[in-house]
Amino acid sequence: MKFDFSGRTALVTGGGRGLGLAIVKALREAGARVAINDRTPAMVDSVIERLGGGDDLAAAPADLAANGGPECAVALALEAFGGLDMLVNNAAVNIEAPIEAIDDQLWDLHLDVVLRAPLFTTKAALPALARTKGAVLNIASELALHAIPNNAAYVAAKHGLVAMTRALAIELAPQGVRVNALCPGTMDTELMRECAEASGDAAGYHRAFAAYHPLGRIASPQEIASFVLCLLSPAAAFMTGSAVAIDGGSTAGRRWEG
Amino acid sequence: MSRVRRVLITGSTRGIGRATAERMAQEGDEIILHGQRAEDVEVAVMALGGRASAVSGISGDLGDRAALARIAERAGDVDVLINCAGIYRDTAIGAIDEAGWREMIAINLTAPWLLTRGLLPGLRRRRGVVINVASDAGLIGFAGGSIYCSSKGGLIGLTRALAVELAPTVRAIAICPGPVDTDMMRQSVAKAADSEAARRQWNEYTHLRRVAQPHEIAAMIAFAASNAAGFATGAAWLIDGGVTAGRRI
Repeated sequence: MKFDFSGRTALVTGGGRGLGLAIVKALREAGARVAINDRTPAMVDSVIERLGGGDDLAAAPADLAANGGPECAVALALEAFGGLDMLVNNAAVNIEAPIEAIDDQLWDLHLDVVLRAPLFTTKAALPALARTKGAVLNIASELALHAIPNNAAYVAAKHGLVAMTRALAIELAPQGVRVNALCPGTMDTELMRECAEASGDAAGYHRAFAAYHPLGRIASPQEIASFVLCLLSPAAAFMTGSAVAIDGGSTAGRRWEG
Repeated sequence: MSRVRRVLITGSTRGIGRATAERMAQEGDEIILHGQRAEDVEVAVMALGGRASAVSGISGDLGDRAALARIAERAGDVDVLINCAGIYRDTAIGAIDEAGWREMIAINLTAPWLLTRGLLPGLRRRRGVVINVASDAGLIGFAGGSIYCSSKGGLIGLTRALAVELAPTVRAIAICPGPVDTDMMRQSVAKAADSEAARRQWNEYTHLRRVAQPHEIAAMIAFAASNAAGFATGAAWLIDGGVTAGRRI
């Protein structure tokens, strides 16, 4: 399905790699101008260079974990485009650890990046989004809908993000701004590969996650990005406050492995 | 007859926490009350003391991590941790700020996490239960609730993560009350321009056409903590008068 985003602008947080980068590419191919946020100017500049540069890309580097970081990312996007139609809160951290090993710093980092940043980017972007009757898409996770072990901070933060999505959907509906959450299953991204490496058995980790999804594989970032476009497009004009799973069936139920 | 269980209940000088303390004290549990202010804790301990086998109290600000560590240390081994303390501030997105975010998240989400982590060795030894008092707001949204809903949704997520990871040793259950007739609600009603109308609106908000009494939530918390609910873990129990079930048109 083709979507036409010509003349529209977007900010994608964590757009330098993984799903974020796939969303940046997909939006750009569909005609949108896209501001890319990642942690440092060097990271964002190198991504823009790899994408060949152009007037349709803008740099919005900011550390979303820092106070003022989310507002800074939005300000840079608004400066570049003079307005905003779409805000994609994609940036995340996911550092697996058993409960006893989650220290205060790790807990705070997950809450700041996964939960606080989307709220404060939305606040900063709201005047612009209200003018364009724009859309906010929060990239949550299937772990916003259920839990796995060794990921308590991430699971808590992503659950919170879905709850926040619903609250903001109700609050911003009168202004015509839609707010939805997308809950992807495991994707073949750098983040996933890092987790695989960190586990000490990368191949086993990949196999386990492929088997964990009823479809028997993990997702490509591209197939998730194309769904992102659908949710941002007029095709989803009546959708707000939803948390949509695209998870290969992992939250639908369990297969009985007899 | 099994041994007396030690139960720590945060935010138990009033509201749902206090009602839970009363209920579980009647059932013979040893209760450790908690409140932010020492004088409130003292009063609650005295009020409850006559009725229970053993009641003690700890005070401390749940937004203060050093205080949380002290509370966990002073509580010692517990069989049941009930994270009941919570705060609510109505915050339209245009009015949110860092301080408001940090305060509500610290008390509603991070404090339950840090207390659970701090008390975990004892909870494991005693094959205990963690009860997190979340809210229907963790499952449905409302205007002005972006921070509160984030904190309560996060608390439901934390409960699920604890349940999955700590099984089969420790159970974790989230209790999701709808509107309850507590000081928290009375204050919000009193602040409304037309208090009478605000009260009516709360009653009409539920399908049962009334708000809950704290003892009705306490009864379900006590049940969740009991062996009768021994197969329940990772659940989010709604006790909301039907609010999340659907709408009247």
